[in-house]
This record gives sequence, C-alpha cells and structure tokens, in this order.
Amino acid sequence: MTNRIDGPLKVTGRAQYGLDHNFPGMLYGYVVTSTIANGEIVAMDVTAAKSAPGVVAVYSPFDPLTLRRPNSPMLGETWVPLQDRDVAYYGQPVGFVVAQTYEQARDAAMLVEVSYAERPARTSLVDNLDLAEDGPPAMDGTPPTHAVLAPGVESIEDALAASPVVVEGTYSTATQNHAAMEPHSAVAVWDDDANDNDANDNDANDNDANDNDANDDDDTNNGLTIYSGNQGASFQQEDMAAALEVEPSSVHTINPFVGGAFGGKGSTSVPAFLAAAAARALGRPVKAALSREQVFTATANRAETLQKVALGADRDGTLIAVRHDSWCSAALDRSFVEQTSHTTSGEWYATRNLATTQKVVPLTIPRTTFMRAPGEAPGSFALESAMDELAVALDMDPIELRMRNSSTGPVGSDLQWSSKYLDDCYRIGAERFGWSQRSATGREDGDWLVGMGMASAFFPALRFPATTEITLRADDTAVVSVGGADPGTGLLTVMSLIGAESLDIAVERITPRLGRSAYPPGGLSGGSTATASVGSAIMVAASAVIDDLQALASAPGGPFEGQDVTYADGRVLAGGRSMTFGELLTALGRESVSATGSSAPGEELTKHSFSSFGAQFCEVRVHRWTREARVSRMLGVFDAGRIINEKAARSQLMGGMIWGVSAALHEGLEIEGNGRLANADLAGYLLPVNADIPEVDVHFVQHPDTLHNPVGARGVGEIGTVGMAAAVANAIHNATGIRVRHLPITIEDLLDDEVS
Amino acid sequence: MRPFELTAPATVEDALAEPGTFLAGGTTLVDLMKLNVLTPQHVLDINALPLRGIDTSDGLRLGALERMGDIARHPGVYPAVSRALLQSASQQLRNMASIGGNLLQRTRCTYFRDVAMPCNRRDPGSGCPARSGANRMHAVLGTSDSCVATHASDVAVALIALDARVTLAGAGGTRTVELADFYRLPGDTPQVENDLRPGELITEVVVPRLDWAANSTYVKVRDRQSYEFALCSAAVALDVRDARIVDARVAVGGVATVPWRLRPVEAALRGAPVSQEAFESAAAVATEGAAPLSGNGFKLPLLRRTIVRALRELTEGSRA
Repeated sequence: MTNRIDGPLKVTGRAQYGLDHNFPGMLYGYVVTSTIANGEIVAMDVTAAKSAPGVVAVYSPFDPLTLRRPNSPMLGETWVPLQDRDVAYYGQPVGFVVAQTYEQARDAAMLVEVSYAERPARTSLVDNLDLAEDGPPAMDGTPPTHAVLAPGVESIEDALAASPVVVEGTYSTATQNHAAMEPHSAVAVWDDDANDNDANDNDANDNDANDNDANDDDDTNNGLTIYSGNQGASFQQEDMAAALEVEPSSVHTINPFVGGAFGGKGSTSVPAFLAAAAARALGRPVKAALSREQVFTATANRAETLQKVALGADRDGTLIAVRHDSWCSAALDRSFVEQTSHTTSGEWYATRNLATTQKVVPLTIPRTTFMRAPGEAPGSFALESAMDELAVALDMDPIELRMRNSSTGPVGSDLQWSSKYLDDCYRIGAERFGWSQRSATGREDGDWLVGMGMASAFFPALRFPATTEITLRADDTAVVSVGGADPGTGLLTVMSLIGAESLDIAVERITPRLGRSAYPPGGLSGGSTATASVGSAIMVAASAVIDDLQALASAPGGPFEGQDVTYADGRVLAGGRSMTFGELLTALGRESVSATGSSAPGEELTKHSFSSFGAQFCEVRVHRWTREARVSRMLGVFDAGRIINEKAARSQLMGGMIWGVSAALHEGLEIEGNGRLANADLAGYLLPVNADIPEVDVHFVQHPDTLHNPVGARGVGEIGTVGMAAAVANAIHNATGIRVRHLPITIEDLLDDEVS
Repeated sequence: MRPFELTAPATVEDALAEPGTFLAGGTTLVDLMKLNVLTPQHVLDINALPLRGIDTSDGLRLGALERMGDIARHPGVYPAVSRALLQSASQQLRNMASIGGNLLQRTRCTYFRDVAMPCNRRDPGSGCPARSGANRMHAVLGTSDSCVATHASDVAVALIALDARVTLAGAGGTRTVELADFYRLPGDTPQVENDLRPGELITEVVVPRLDWAANSTYVKVRDRQSYEFALCSAAVALDVRDARIVDARVAVGGVATVPWRLRPVEAALRGAPVSQEAFESAAAVATEGAAPLSGNGFKLPLLRRTIVRALRELTEGSRA
C-alpha cells in the first residue's frame, strides 16, 4: 500500500496541468466548429470576428495555418484541422480565433459565419449496414473473417445446427466519449518568445516537486515547447514535428500531469496543433482549449457497435460452436475500428468451432479512437450476455458454465496462456459476493426487485519497448526518468517502487520523473502496458547503473581499486568495507552516475499467449413500479500477475468497474439524423455520480507472471471495465426476467405489464 | 457570452427602476449567457435586496432570494417541498440557486440551449426540431405544435400541488398570483413562459397552511440517482383517515410544459380506499389527453407508475 506520490500536489491544486501554464504576451485561441455533418464550406465571413475587441487573427480553410498530417506506426494518421473545406461530421473544427483574452476569442468565434454546400448526413449504424466494409486485421493478425472448425465440420452453421442447445442474440452498444476532466488543450511557446520562459514559468518548476527539473535541459532549447496532456511525450513530439515540418529534436513536450486520457489523448489534439501553428505564425505564446461541448465532437469517441452472437452447446454446457459477427461505426476516414468479436470470442472460451467477422461502417460522425478496453469492453457485453443467456437456457449456474469452458489459450492457437488463475477468481468472487444466495429469479426487498449477475473479464497482457534512465546522485538519492505519461494511472509511483526495489534502496530516495520528451522514450499510457514496459526497463537500467558504479569503485584510483565489488542495500562492498553509492560518488568527486536501460517484448511471444483475467460480480435493484435500475454492490476479482501498488491498482480497477456501470446504465452519445450530437455536454451525457456507486470491492489473485516480463506484472488499467456492463445486464435479468441487449439500459427498457 | 453591464441595486425600488435582467443565484442565467442563449446588455444583481426569510408559522412564506438548500434544510417545511428541493440539481447548485429563480428557470430542451438550432421558444417562428428529434426528455402534457419542452423545476411541482402563490413587485405596485395561473402553456407563443410583466420581480413565495400536507412526498424518477432532471416526478399530499382518502393533492413534473396539477387524479382519489387498485385506477386518469412523441411514449405508463409509487410510499403501513 503506497500513496500516490503526486497525490498531495493534485488534491491541493498545486499540480500544474498543461493549460495552467501562462506566459507574458500569451494569446488565447478558440475553435470554431461546423454545424453540418457532411458537405463543403463555401464561404466563411470572418469580418465581424476580425474586428471584434482583442482579436489578433482568425484562421480558416480560406486562411489556414499550414499543418501536415502526422502518421505514426502505432496510432495511424492523425487528422489536422483547417487544411481543406470538407466537412465530414457535425462539430468538426473549421476555424480558430486568436485574441488577447479567452473571453474575447470565444465571443468573436460566435461571430464567424460559415456557409455550406450541404450533403445528406449518414449517422445511423443500423440503417447503413449495407455500407459495411471489412475491418483491418486484428492486432494479432487475425483477418476480419476468421474461422476455426473442428475436423469434418464444413461451416459454423453446421456446427450450430448440430448443437443440442443454441442461443442467438443481437447486441448493441452506444457511442461513448472519454469525458476526461481535463479538456483537450495546449499552451505552445516557440523559442523566440520563450527566452523569458524560465523566469516566468517559475511556478511550473516550483510545484513539480516530483519533477525535480531545476537542471533540466529542455525549457530553453530552440524550437517549440508545448504543454499539453498526452499519453506519451514521444508520440506528441513526433506528431507535432511532422505536423509543423520541424525536426523532432526541436519539439519539447511537457506533461507531468494529465487530467485523464483513457485512449482519448493518444493522438495529438486539435488545440495543440492550432496553438503551436498559431504561436509560430504570430510570434507569441498561444493557449487553446476545447470547450466541454467541443470535446464531444472535435476529439474522437468510442464507436457504436452492433454484434450478433450465436452459441451452441452440449447439454452439459460444453461449447460446440461460437459465432460472433461485429459491426462498428467509424468516421469517413475510417481512422479506427473497434474490434469486438475476435478480441473476445476468439480467446475467452474453449470451443471446437469458432467464426468471427469484423465489419466497419463509415458514417458522417466524429472520429472514433481507442477508449479504455477498445474492443473488449463492448465485445464483452455481447459475449458475456450471451453466456448468461446460455446458462439460463441450460438451467445452469453462470459460473459453472464458464468454468466448464475454460480456455487454455486463444481458440486455435498453440500458445497457451502463460499464467491463468481465472477459476480462482470465479471461486473467490462467488464466496466474497455471496453468490450462493442468488436464486435463478432474483429476490424482492420491499418494492425493489434484486438480482445478481456476473461476467468474465479478459484483457491482453501487452508491453511496448521502453527505455529508462537512472541517475545515482552523490546525496544517495536516485532519479528514474521516462518520457511516458501518468494520466492518473499511478505510473509515477510505480516507477518509485520498482526503482527502489531494483536499486535496493528505500522508496523515499527515488525521484521519478516522466512526461517530457527530453526523457527516454517509452511508457506510453495505453494498452495497460506502462507498468510492465517501464518496470522492465527500470530493472535493466538499474542493473546497468550498478555495473557502472561497481566499475567506478574498482577502477584505478577508486576506493576499491582492483577489488571484486558487490552491491547491496544501496552500498558497494568489497574486502569487508562498504560505502553508500553517494559516499562512493563523493569520494570520486562525481555528482552522479547515469545509465539507461531498454526492454522490449521478444522471444516470449513465440512461447505463450498472455492475458489478464477477472470475474465481475454485481447486484442490481430495480424498482417494481418506476423501474430504475441501481447497482447496489459490485466486486471484481482479478488475476493480473504481480500487483506493484495495491492501492493504486485497486483504484484503477474500481474506476474501470464504475466505467462499466456507466456504459451499462448511463453513457451514450445520441447522434441525430443531421449529425448533431443531442447530448454533447455533461448535463445531457450522463456519467454516474457518487450516489450511483454505493460499494465497490476489488480483490487480487496474485501470481507473478515472469514469463511475460521480468517484473511479473500484467496490466490493470483496462480490464476493470471489461465484462461489467454484461454483469449489470445479467443482474437486471436476474431481478426482472427482462433481457436487454443494448446499452445503455434505461427505464423504458424495463417497463413490464404490471401497471399498463 | 457577450459583454454586458452589471449593476447591483440595494433596494427593490432601485431594482424596479432600472431596465435589465435580474441575476439571483445565476445558475440559469449565467449558464445560458455562456451558451449565448441569453445575451442581456444590462444585468441587475439583486442579491443584496432584502428578499429573505423562511417562515413556517402559518403555512410557508419564503423570501424570493432564499437559497434552495436553506429552504430544504429548514424544519417545518412541508415534506413534498423539502424533498423536491433535495432532489434538485446538486448541493453546490442548491447553495446558490434562489427559490424565485428556481420558479423562473428555463427549459433544458437541447434545442433551446443550442443557438445553432431553431427553437420557437428562443426564436419565435423558427421551428421546433424536438418534435421529430431527440425528444425522450420532452413533454407529453400541455404541448403544442410550436413547443414540447418540459418545465425543469422540481419544487414548482410540489408548490403547485400545495396551492402556492407568488408575490410580484412591479413599477405599478405589488400583486399576488396563484402559481398555477402564473405559468403559461406554450400554445402559439412559447416565448411567453409566465405571467411576469416587463420589469416585474418575484419577491415572495407563499404556501397556504394545510396541516395534512405533513403527509406529503415528492417522488422523482430519473436516469441516475442524483444530479439529473426528472423523467417523471410526482408531488403528492394525502389526508388519510380510517384507511380512506379524505383529500389529496397531486402534481407532476418532467412530463409537461409547465408544472402540472392533476385535479382529476385528486378527484378520483377523494373518498377512495387506501388500496393498490384504487391507486392504479386514479393514476390511470393522469395521462388522459397526453400526446406522446416519437421518443417518449414510455412516459405515459411511467407517469401512472410514479403516481402509484408516491401513493404507496405515503400509505406505507395503512394499506389494506
């Protein structure tokens, strides 16, 4: 149990997020967005806006800031605004007003008049299935149409037809927005106007107690310095460099604190591109932020999905056939495909026959992107609802059904799971939750109908290449650095813990630093990978720096010259003598010794499959008369390898589980026929409030997975949300007998005939 | 938001002497100014006016500037009023919003709040996208071809059920209006929402004494447990003696263009036994004449069920 080391800064308001930075002469930009979903901008009248008080510049496709589209191997192409007159969705950035104050920029933005040649919008997924295209291959290379059939079986339909028990259902999930507390935003400063940065940026340095950058090198370098929340400094650095056609080395990104990302800040945002380009054009620092309403359209959302699942089983519950066909919405640029079928049905349960498809339907809607458990979150709603339906059809306990079909690896793969304790999760969960008290038809408590539901959770265990630097200092402290981001996940604290363990010193003596492109690349906050990736690299760097230290100690002129030096407990030892590394460095007249270490996935990928696992439980109460569904308690039991910081991991999983409740009962962007979002603010787009989340219990089944990485930790960032929406829907079915196959589930879905 | 002039009169007389838009808690006005829905040139901050006081000695008298949160917590306030307030907005908003301002809050219709869209209420004659658009939250009672927006207040529903009156001060003097007569159905003029004359100010809200309203409640049905507007709500007061209903007050919210008193339901309850059957048959009257839209037909059964639930909660223990 370790408190977040950045916690005090955050709860006292001293943590400076990107937008909190201010510079002399700074200007403010406000984005103008489209009010059609499909068409071309014919004209923009900016006369009134340009003459409004305080306005410095108005940019538009007719008077653009030049930006190129970055393309990254991991995140794909990133859209940049104002480069042409096409409008592909309602709320698309089409203009940028820069003024002396934020209010002036906002007021002037309201005066921009845009004329369009409008084309019909196409916004409904279900009404446009005829436009479906094959999706790209899944991350593991699985093609969009995929089947594994038992010998002698001709087709999945034959396998289903031969199954004694079959359930089939069509499931759908809503478009969601990440709704991070920090809106997408940036402050951009170019070198000429940055000369006095450091003098005026003093509070940035003051409050970065964890960021200890007094002697950092990047604030006054030539080029662009950008303060903007992101999921990995090097990604933003590369995006900005490509967009602005400058060398990556002349872009310095700074984001020690990020107010939530969840996949929505992987690609660089519109305000960052526009602020940087305008700051260059105007020769002054520029700050820009999206309004809350704009965040819903001018960033990117989770896709809407439609999924058809058929499960065929023997009467004892053994799966014979699994068919999972998926469609997802996408913007016209098809920039992202939500992979819901193969990522779930392709891996979760043993089956002799499997068929999955993945289609994408391009629409005139805001772009889609990664959102916490992309694929697995909506995919698990379909599969785990269908499993519950199968359990009902078989009159079998839902947990027993899942245990009967436990997978030893992905369907059709020779690579077995490296370490899997999912059955323990089910058993422990059932015990802790009181599952044995569940009846097949729920129970009543006064005018409330009470039900219990459960679901499985899987999320692939991944890691990415990462490099870290460790500096041992003469004051017996150590600095551990990586360019990655900590958008509330707890990576900064994890770096301290793994750094302390690897260097065999107290955690208080570690200063972790992240969130700057000046630090070594790695530690992307995405794919639940940061702990495994950065932790492994820290272990390598620690080993390297200890080697260097020992070499210094035994080198000619060193205090242990010629001796065989060992290292333990922060000390070098030889011949019955020992010194702390700080004493050694002092004796050598050195301030510090540094080493970098890198780690990346490798040979293990040819030997095993890797995943985290979990069992989700929840209890839901539905009012007999007015039919509100309220979650009254929930539990998640997870097998995620070794847990580095149980307190932060628990918070991560709680957040994920709450997100699952939110998807189940609250969240859904409503896209109108003309492309307008009907509920694009936090009053209309519902997220659960405290009163909706009474009790959350998280339990870990801890088995370090050192086949996956040296740290033994698998990810916990995303698995918490997987399965939870299905667990809620399954509990509602248990309480009411009503099966709802779409999300979110609202009151009208649960009206019965009791009062007509 | 557009630049505006702000003054802060110290007396009611001063406030009435200046033309402008009154600012109390600001929870509606500032919100809508930020969205450019309201663009007043002159704003009068009336928070210094002496329109305070919560008096429960004979019914309920509320100074118009009393905050929602203070009224909700005050002992002796009828339960329906207190519960309606406590289920409104969030604690932070209740700490700011005044009771007078609450009664004048504008609709939450998504099209009213978006200046890029037509709206007959905001821009008369421009049209009503809600009739064919996103109308799940909209009204089924009191609607017209020109407007189907719901009135968003919770406490106004409870106040209407309890025959509340508002005192209005204007340049021409002071007058009292029944709250039930204060609100205007949209008809062809949805931009006219109430009986306020230009420059008039609500100074006081008065609920006449009704001792049996100690047995009253407010049931609010919504998509999340707190901080959300009603899909449907019911304020009910019941006078129950010997397992029979002697008298009843029923008003509903979330379903109508104005806070909606249901006198036909009250009549059906009067003299009825305390029984599920009687509740259901009285509630069945509630939706007579209702006009559902494409996305809110569920509000008809939900309205009946909400009334039944409120009646059940008020008769817990005395039901047959």
